[in-house]
Amino acid sequence: MKGRWAGRALLGVPTVFLLALFVLPLLSMVVLSFWRTENYHIVQDWNLGNYITLATGGAYVTFLIRSLVMAGVVSLVCILIAWPVSYAIILYGGRYRLLLTLAFAVPFLTGEVLRVIALQGLLGPVGLINAVLMALGSAPLRFIMYTNVASAIGLVYLYLPIVVTVIYLSLLNFDARLIDAAKIFGASPLRAFVEVTWPLNLFGTLIGFVLCFIPCLSATLVPRFLGGANGTLYGMAMAQQFGESGTWALGAAMGVVLFLTSIIAVLLVGMRVDLRRTGFTGFGRG
Amino acid sequence: MYITLDGVSRQYDSIWAVDRVTMGIGKNEFVSLLGPSGSGKTTLLRIIAGLEKPTTGRVLIDGEDVTDLPPHKRGVAMVFQEFLLFPHRTVSENLAFPLRMMKLPAAEIAERVAWVVGILSLGGLEKRYPNQLSGGQQQRVALGRGLVGRPKALLLDEPLANLDRELRQEMEVEIRRHQSALGIPFIYVTHNQEEALSMSDRIAVVRKGRIEDFAARTDIYDRPKTAFIAQFVGRSNRFEGTVDAAGRHVATRCGTILALPAPLTAGHAVQLFIKNEKLRLAPDDGTDGASHGANRLACTVKDVILRGAYADYILAFGDRELNASRPRSERAFLSGEAVIAHLNPEDIDLFDMDGERPS
Repeated sequence: MKGRWAGRALLGVPTVFLLALFVLPLLSMVVLSFWRTENYHIVQDWNLGNYITLATGGAYVTFLIRSLVMAGVVSLVCILIAWPVSYAIILYGGRYRLLLTLAFAVPFLTGEVLRVIALQGLLGPVGLINAVLMALGSAPLRFIMYTNVASAIGLVYLYLPIVVTVIYLSLLNFDARLIDAAKIFGASPLRAFVEVTWPLNLFGTLIGFVLCFIPCLSATLVPRFLGGANGTLYGMAMAQQFGESGTWALGAAMGVVLFLTSIIAVLLVGMRVDLRRTGFTGFGRG
Repeated sequence: MYITLDGVSRQYDSIWAVDRVTMGIGKNEFVSLLGPSGSGKTTLLRIIAGLEKPTTGRVLIDGEDVTDLPPHKRGVAMVFQEFLLFPHRTVSENLAFPLRMMKLPAAEIAERVAWVVGILSLGGLEKRYPNQLSGGQQQRVALGRGLVGRPKALLLDEPLANLDRELRQEMEVEIRRHQSALGIPFIYVTHNQEEALSMSDRIAVVRKGRIEDFAARTDIYDRPKTAFIAQFVGRSNRFEGTVDAAGRHVATRCGTILALPAPLTAGHAVQLFIKNEKLRLAPDDGTDGASHGANRLACTVKDVILRGAYADYILAFGDRELNASRPRSERAFLSGEAVIAHLNPEDIDLFDMDGERPS
């Protein structure tokens, strides 16, 4: 009897925690999204107005598509960079492996705003790169001045450490001797990668993708500081509803849209993967 | 020779893990590399496989110099101690892997997988993933993956170390059977002398990166070339002593006089080994006249360990212990009983203090 109560208590604490800090705010957001705001006041009449605005207002649709493309591209770029970096740390890091991985977290010691502003100082019209170029007598690079490219660079910079860490951990748990086995049985190094290394780290790679994709989708600071006039992303537009415009209900609806989009993205990725094919053994025996 | 190692060495930092190894292995031979852990036997195997490059020397397989060939072009197969099955592939996919790499047509792949499933009795497990198999089943799949591609040689790196004793003995018989049926060389790395003795045609005893001796298994066991082999293969009793003035006996440190099989220079410091099962026991009841002469040691039985077909006796002899192993069909002795242990001079293996046979 005692064990059962202990078990319930153990399950109960996280349940209460999740309810209070996750489910309740989410529910209140969903409720708010079906209300209205008028002159900085919440009006409690149930309607679909916010969603109609989001679906028909051209700007919002543009922001959403731009955000999806941006998050997808940034996540892909992060994975393309993180793979060789993590692989090199595993192969050649030796006893400095942990240190090298931690080094990626160093920027996290400052705030996100600071990091984005630092990047603005690097990429902007009078930033380090363009200032040097102009001092050398060449033309500044326009595509990194307040553009979507600048936003993408900023997002890659922000989320690359997470993706590297996730893929590094995946590779760390990967038994590299399986590569030896593949080679012995006739696989060239490239073939061994395709047959063994990639599928067995696919799950980790997808987690890295999702952990980059979702925050990119709702990014607000990066597009505001780096994105320029045509760089508004969905998350940034959403933040504005809660700030300057005071249209909280619309903002809440945008939040719901982002939430659903993220879930659909995760499901789409998840459904395409047979976990067994990634060596996932979480199902246990049987 | 079908596989030839010619002066092969491998250096790690300042240590020679493999040191000038030269050996030849025949086409239909089962060879064991037997040595303690860290002796370099696995490194030697990985050099043959192509997973390690020798610092110096050449490796030839079937007349071709493969020293600079990567593993996937050597046509050898390997069975690993940790099995190393592909966890994201089913049993039949694991078995088909080497064949797919050989780009065989699908029909032939299916046929060969079925053949291996048959000879290794893996029927019914084809659709399972490795983590759904028992250790013994995983071992069979690993062996099957090694055999399915009909490799030029099968390299086995302590493949039975992770199995329990009964399963191990079953697999020993099976592995040996497949080797003779396929007619390809098996090179078997192990630190377990029983495995080496039960399966091999020839055994190479590896010590500190060098081949201590490479000979038929009976020679390795019955006529050890060095003190290390005498100590490492089989279980034996060791004595140290000095050859007496006549050159016919050895006075050991524990005060015993042992007769030598052949005369030696007087004053020569030697070490002697006698296998536990060569130590014969008789009751010390005074019926044996010269009960304390040369090669007859008066002992007391300290403990008896029953091994089934034979019994191990731990004997107290002065301030040391002796071990004897006698068949159960002989007279049994009880703890506390006084016995005479006989050492036949012919059964004594005698070495210099540096471990070599005296010249």
